[in-house]
Amino acid sequence: MHIMEGFLPWQWCLIWWIIALPCLMLGIYQLKKVLASDREALPLLGVTGGFIFILSALKLPSVTGSCSHPTGTGLSTISFGPWITSVVCAIVLLFQSLFLAHGGLSVLGANIVSMGVVGPLVGYAIYRLLRDTFVNIYITVFLVTALADMFTYVTTSLELALAYPAETGGIVSSFVLFMGIFAITQVPLAIVEGIVLALVFKYIVALKPDILIKLKIFSEEKINAARSAT
Amino acid sequence: MAYKYTLEILTALAIGTFCILFLYTNSTMSGAEFAGSDNAGSGLIAELSGTLKENFHPLIPQWKPPSNEIEACLFALQAAVGGILVGGVFGFWIGQKNKA
Repeated sequence: MHIMEGFLPWQWCLIWWIIALPCLMLGIYQLKKVLASDREALPLLGVTGGFIFILSALKLPSVTGSCSHPTGTGLSTISFGPWITSVVCAIVLLFQSLFLAHGGLSVLGANIVSMGVVGPLVGYAIYRLLRDTFVNIYITVFLVTALADMFTYVTTSLELALAYPAETGGIVSSFVLFMGIFAITQVPLAIVEGIVLALVFKYIVALKPDILIKLKIFSEEKINAARSAT
Repeated sequence: MAYKYTLEILTALAIGTFCILFLYTNSTMSGAEFAGSDNAGSGLIAELSGTLKENFHPLIPQWKPPSNEIEACLFALQAAVGGILVGGVFGFWIGQKNKA
């Protein structure tokens, strides 16, 4: 999902930075508040953030014959919401732009918006929609993770299509072209990522159900139902 | 209790299928290079804008890993940091649970 340094005109870099910055500031503010009110939240932040570090380092092969990486933002989105997730993503993306030449400082704003803002926002919407329904919590985690991953790549496609409209067909047809490269490659990866993180969530539920209830991530009834079913 | 390991089995199946898909694609698709989709995206940008890929220059000067080995090392480092966080916290939680 990285837009490479130099491949986005400076006007667009500026626009995406302007969108990304308030999200990061809100995230830092929320992060301070959460950590000040509950010391038990820190380990959970470590696990959910840790998976963003691990999964975004894995470039996996896909059916289109190219490689792409999952985002791992699902668990953090469910546990802490989209804004704190933006902050964790920004740290990872900064590391990758400084040391790996994946992305870059000028396009960092655009990459934060796709991986750290829009993906997690879509995931968070799904989570809020399903949280208080009868839907099993592992299915919720799967959907949130897979869709946060997919929409990260849809956003990258959109960012590029807006900057590079095709001569015939304009933004729409170049959006379709970029989706062909980014989104189709991502489908199998998103599905596997969703299942793996649902399994990880099972272990969090097994070991630390009280923190999930205390932070009101899922209701006590739902956590107990999940514990007795597995 | 019948469903105790459903998620573990599903995960194993998903990863297995993923590997088989990769081996199948790798052996049947000609011209599959398994390069990054980021590169493919940059290729399309070059095509759409009518500018050669070589003519895109970083807006902000950027350090590039001098070889694939060094890049792999740094990626492994990133994953290791994540792994330490995850493993450390799970260990901490298991310890807390055993103590209680």
